[in-house]
Amino acid sequence: MSRIDRMTRRTFLKGSGAAAGLLVASRFLYGPLETLVSGAPQAAPEEKWLPTTCWIGKQDCGLLARVVNGRVVKLEGHPGHPLNRGTLCPKGVGQIMALYDYNRVKTPLVRTNEKGVSGRWRQATWDEALGLLAERLKEVRAKDPGLILWQKGRSKGAPFYDTAFVQAVGAKKYVGHGTYCSDAGYRAAEYTIGPSGNAHPDFRYTRYLLSWGWNIVNSGGNKLCQITWNQQLNQARERGMKIVHIDPRRLSAGPFADEWLPIRPGTDLALALALCQQILARGTIDRDYLTKYTNAPFLVQGNGFFLKAEGKEQVWDTKTQSVKPFDGTGVESALEGEFTAGGARVKTAFQLFKEHVSGYSPEWAEKICGIPAATIEKVARELSENAMIGSTIVVDGVTLPYRPVAFHSYHMSQQELGFQAFRAMFMPFMLLGAIEAVGGVRVDFTWAVHGNFKAFDEIKIKDPPYDFFLGDSKFFPINSLNPGIIAKIMLEPQKYEVSKIPEVAIIHMANPLASFTDQNTFMEAYKKLKFVAVIDPWLSKTADLFADVVLPAATLEKYEGPYTSTATYSRATALRLPIMEPLYQSKGDIDIYLDLCEKVGILYGTGGYLDRLNSALALKDADKLDLNAKPTVRTIFDRWAKSQGLAEGVSYFETNGVWDRGAIPARSYYGYAANPPFSGIRQRLYGEALLRYQQEMRAKGVGQVYWQDYTPLPTWREPTMWKSPAQYDLTLISYKLIEFKQSRASQIPLLAELAPRQLLTMNPAAARARGISEDDEVTMESQNALTGETRRVKATVTLTEAIRPDVVGMPHHYGEVAKHPWTEGQGPTPNTLFFTGEGYVTNTADNSFHVRVRVYKE
Amino acid sequence: MARWGMVIDLSRCYGCRACMMACKVENNTPGAHFWMYVFRLEEGEYPDTQVRFLPRPCMHCDNAPCVKVCPVGARYKRADGIVSTDWARCIGCRYCEVACPYGVNYFNWKSPKKNQYLDWDSPAAEALEPVTKGAVPPYQNPALGGQMKDGRKTAGGGQLKGVIEKCTFCVHRVEKGLQPACVANCPAFALHFGDLDDPASQLSRLLAANKSFRLEEAFNTRPRVYYLGAPPPSTEARQIQAVKARE
Amino acid sequence: MATRADTRLPYGVGQAGARFFLLVAGLLVLVGLGAYAYTRQFVEGEAVTGLRDIGTMGGAPWGLYVAFVIYFVGVSFAGITVAALIRILNLEHLRPVSRMAEVLTVLALVLGAMSVIVDLGQPGRGIVNLLLYARPQSPFFGTFSLVISGYLVASMVYLYLESRKDAALCAREPGRLQWFHRLWAAGYKDTREQRERHLRASWWLSLFIIPLLVTAHSTLGFVFGLQISAFGWYGAFQPPEFLILAGVSGIGLLIVIAAAARQTLHLQEQIPKRVFTWLANFLWVLLVVYGYLMIVEVLTAIYQPHQNEEALIRTLVFGNYAWMYWLSVGLLIVPLVVLLVQSVMRRYSLPIIVASGVFVNVAAIIKRYLIVVPSQTHGRLLPYGPGAYSPTWVEYLIVLGIAAFGALAYVVFFKVFPITEVKESDGSQSLWKTSE
Repeated sequence: MSRIDRMTRRTFLKGSGAAAGLLVASRFLYGPLETLVSGAPQAAPEEKWLPTTCWIGKQDCGLLARVVNGRVVKLEGHPGHPLNRGTLCPKGVGQIMALYDYNRVKTPLVRTNEKGVSGRWRQATWDEALGLLAERLKEVRAKDPGLILWQKGRSKGAPFYDTAFVQAVGAKKYVGHGTYCSDAGYRAAEYTIGPSGNAHPDFRYTRYLLSWGWNIVNSGGNKLCQITWNQQLNQARERGMKIVHIDPRRLSAGPFADEWLPIRPGTDLALALALCQQILARGTIDRDYLTKYTNAPFLVQGNGFFLKAEGKEQVWDTKTQSVKPFDGTGVESALEGEFTAGGARVKTAFQLFKEHVSGYSPEWAEKICGIPAATIEKVARELSENAMIGSTIVVDGVTLPYRPVAFHSYHMSQQELGFQAFRAMFMPFMLLGAIEAVGGVRVDFTWAVHGNFKAFDEIKIKDPPYDFFLGDSKFFPINSLNPGIIAKIMLEPQKYEVSKIPEVAIIHMANPLASFTDQNTFMEAYKKLKFVAVIDPWLSKTADLFADVVLPAATLEKYEGPYTSTATYSRATALRLPIMEPLYQSKGDIDIYLDLCEKVGILYGTGGYLDRLNSALALKDADKLDLNAKPTVRTIFDRWAKSQGLAEGVSYFETNGVWDRGAIPARSYYGYAANPPFSGIRQRLYGEALLRYQQEMRAKGVGQVYWQDYTPLPTWREPTMWKSPAQYDLTLISYKLIEFKQSRASQIPLLAELAPRQLLTMNPAAARARGISEDDEVTMESQNALTGETRRVKATVTLTEAIRPDVVGMPHHYGEVAKHPWTEGQGPTPNTLFFTGEGYVTNTADNSFHVRVRVYKE
Repeated sequence: MARWGMVIDLSRCYGCRACMMACKVENNTPGAHFWMYVFRLEEGEYPDTQVRFLPRPCMHCDNAPCVKVCPVGARYKRADGIVSTDWARCIGCRYCEVACPYGVNYFNWKSPKKNQYLDWDSPAAEALEPVTKGAVPPYQNPALGGQMKDGRKTAGGGQLKGVIEKCTFCVHRVEKGLQPACVANCPAFALHFGDLDDPASQLSRLLAANKSFRLEEAFNTRPRVYYLGAPPPSTEARQIQAVKARE
Repeated sequence: MATRADTRLPYGVGQAGARFFLLVAGLLVLVGLGAYAYTRQFVEGEAVTGLRDIGTMGGAPWGLYVAFVIYFVGVSFAGITVAALIRILNLEHLRPVSRMAEVLTVLALVLGAMSVIVDLGQPGRGIVNLLLYARPQSPFFGTFSLVISGYLVASMVYLYLESRKDAALCAREPGRLQWFHRLWAAGYKDTREQRERHLRASWWLSLFIIPLLVTAHSTLGFVFGLQISAFGWYGAFQPPEFLILAGVSGIGLLIVIAAAARQTLHLQEQIPKRVFTWLANFLWVLLVVYGYLMIVEVLTAIYQPHQNEEALIRTLVFGNYAWMYWLSVGLLIVPLVVLLVQSVMRRYSLPIIVASGVFVNVAAIIKRYLIVVPSQTHGRLLPYGPGAYSPTWVEYLIVLGIAAFGALAYVVFFKVFPITEVKESDGSQSLWKTSE
């Protein structure tokens, strides 16, 4: 209709005096002219519903796009998609504004001014822009492909980017997102339990859930966005599941918390140990699980290492009252006790654990965590009662242990003690035998032991020089590859005994300057890069400051994938399909890589991009791509779909949108149901390898700050940040808002309107004590306890009783994430205040999102 | 004739505000207009703090103060219970707005086309012309302009300057047998829409099985929107994370 | 630029001096500014005002415009009341100010109508649809149909009847305005039966106007008083309060105008002081009644208030609006006391009476504002939190322009028509030789 009134307006303007008079008259009588025609009857529009996949979030929900006369007018949830079942979060609905945003990068851009300041640009053709990048890539590849840095934010379509392209170009990749998300938890789970993930409940059966730093109402989980979790959470609560919320903020659980434990940030390890102590005191432990499926019965010598014979860990056989290999037939391992073996005193790992935690009483924890001892005892009791040790249940015809107690956690692993804290959080549930049992703690959606379970046990710490990832280094033997650390290394390679630093960077849908910490380091480090190409739909802060070339990627109007997404109990596979041609001169990311590889000369032939794609997508011979012809992206997905056994090829998705793979059978779901249970691994109550790493690290002469948390059993110590001077009397925590995703949404007007500016949340009591009231502008200053460095931001305060008085909270997403009218003056990102490096990363190089601050009015 | 109504299950709502977004895109409401609004409320003092959420659509009251006061019958009650606004008749006196106890009315203070988040007349926006044919907003819903079954123009938002607009229960969808956009999209399945007269309807069953309340019942506005799963917000409830968009 | 012929007409009719033109010019400037401001609002929409939506926008959709609708309509009270009093109670000594009052009524109602129009988002539609789709159950029906049409028409007819005689007299005088007075007189010869007919007509008319007037001012009160969920508005006392405060402002303004006319046109003997003393006494009586209503209302409100009501009262009495509230109270109490003392001591001072007239009008304007705005920003039920409203330059200019237009019309009218009834003693004898 507005087409009509546009024309009307024009004709009127051109029209005769009479028409003009009529215009005036009509304006007077009926207000603006468009109102005359806005009600004009519609010509029956040609309407289509095109299936595709959400682009803005993490879990790639199914979408149906309503397209009228070739124009997308709405995005709705795909009713057939198990992840979102016809619904969408605000981001999913609001991304339609991102699609049409004319502030996107419309053409390739080439920088015309110096880097480190806001960019000035000239528009370029794709040919020129790709040419510039290709030249630099050729140059560096000739020297050493390892000097090419390929950086990605949250990965979409990993086979095309992370795998095939990185391999073809030979670049060093880092998907840096994780070390700012929940990788410490991943590492802890991989090393302790086996699968790769953090921890979530078995929503169908769990009766008692510790929501441990789980931002229920605003965020999702480590594996999913918030829709799927919350749908299952609601069902669980309607079934009667109880939720104990452990978080300095109450809002993060809203009305879902049956009980709120406002814990002091960075003390989760202490609480976990106290829970273990209580459970042990109550004696409610699953001896069968501990003896059979963990290393609890392994005998430990005085030096802390396992007693071994022929490389096999030994146990105390209660039948023969002698030392036997743990997997000896008919051996009945003793769980507790101290024994004499070969003249030396040995204890079971479990015994050591018991002694280790015996001192960690609720009273002790109360002083550290700020949670009443009585509450801790209560929670431990309720855990013990609800664990129903010894009970079993039949699921899908399989009889399995039933331990309906679990915890859900992920982002909170990003604290200095995160790795060990997360190990410690698993331990109460190991004691209760609730790991991978029905209703118990789940790590991944299916039971699969991750390669790291073994790898982290056998790390060979190398001698310098190291690569700029510090792989197998004495600094971070277990290493999540923290971009912040890598930035520090780029600034002072010698300090980390690194020889070569990257020269060229391709930054794809990542925005380190806004979404990573710490920004000061990145500001300096990225100046060292000789050439930076950014692939992004918007002129991100990173692009604006450092890109030599910006390649405009399409938003959701492109092919991408494949997404094999599970809704925890069922699986589905989907693709992102173009609901319209890429707008402006933008291109689908895959097209960009195809063109780039062609320019660099690494598209065709063996070892080329196409060849890598064949393996990355596991294409069957019949469907393999011709290595000498450039395929369309649709063709690639068509071949992939056929290899997956879909005769219709990609058209299957073009019609159905989602390929529902049905329910996940209990057999592949629960570790207990595996054959043998847990695939025969022994879950690690006792981290022997960690002790070995510590000793090697000390031998190689690295500082205590690096090795202090490499202990076989999680050991409490005060976080480094507590050493900050007394006037830094508040702890800053950060969190996510439901309205945004990473640093990719706060410029989308529809979403930005809901939370237009950064707000520092503060408890009214704490504010009163500082003469601060609602909406005041304050200065927040963070302090690095080791270097003494301080950092400052200005922010507006909002008061809430739903936060600890000694804690202030600030969401991410802000900090003028991209050049856009809606990001102007939106306020700071907490990433400006956090630190990376010693004292503010875990022993696995994962970044901490805790820091001591002071807040004051100028 | 159906008697349309809505049931909101507060025990499920986690305040994600997706309903607000679904409403905005479906109805093309201008900036700062929230026909559906979700309160984020807190009560009590630390550490005994309670946080809760309260979606607020138009209540479509059976005894609607806004209908009574409209001097020209632009605000009227349909036979199916939907309280509609005929934007082709409204004179913009805003009496309905001051009469409404719930604050659900939104006035087009400026030309809606100039209030759709970005300046769609700017030269930069011309690159969209081939796709959008000048539709403002670009995702403009074509189902909103015409007359509804009762012959009145009551659907959608951002229609014209100087008139009142509010939640229509997505009359243009309901007449096609669809659910309102907010209900259809709710990720928590906390919103239910249906026929209050049909004892078999999910609504009737929910209301029969659960304790429910309506907002400010004391004023006898007889809302068509019922809340389940939690008591009414206490008088101490404070709003947090308010969306105070003022264009 | 007075011509010979004009000089024969009484009370400066047809005579315009520099001072007059200066005044007119000044008023024209204000009207122009108002008109400009309105074009801005018409083109940009009411986004240029300080008005915003209740609730999530935390604003007030009704503001200065509505406050002045009430004020202007209120002022109209004076004319007809006085006229009716004269007719029904034979208060002959008030005659000198009756026409001033009647014209004041007519103009005030016109200004009220203008204020309504500028407040509408769709003014053009307003004019059409309000008649086309008028719905009696809306209090606005009373406001528009009764006040703007009935009340206004009745007052105009009354004014016309009352002034035909003078028109006829003036029409006898040749001059530039003769055609106008002839037209007005419309063949009126002031014969005995004509006079009889007029007396009867206007007597009945005034009798009929009284209830109309009460209804009209009450319906305005109902606009607010019927809103059960709006704290500070709901209540049976709104209509009577509106009526009485209307009287207060109307009489107050009449006093001021009469004094001004008396001064500028040197009508000391035509408008004797006792006119003012009577009006002054009438004014304090009204003030007493208003004060009574207020006290009863406030006591009822604060005795056991609903939580929101209490919050609202706090903001009124101690909060954002406190200064306005107490100022208005003061501006009502001071005149009341002073006038009371005067009438007790039987010693009247014209300046004090005029000052009182000014005071009560300022108070009335503030009161109207305080009735309209706070309930919207602070009287809400759902926990939106408090809102805010402050008028923009556009609103001030438009309101000022409307007022200026009224003043302009007023002074111009009395340049072409006698401001008070022509008496034998007035003007040149020539007017009377020919009569009878």
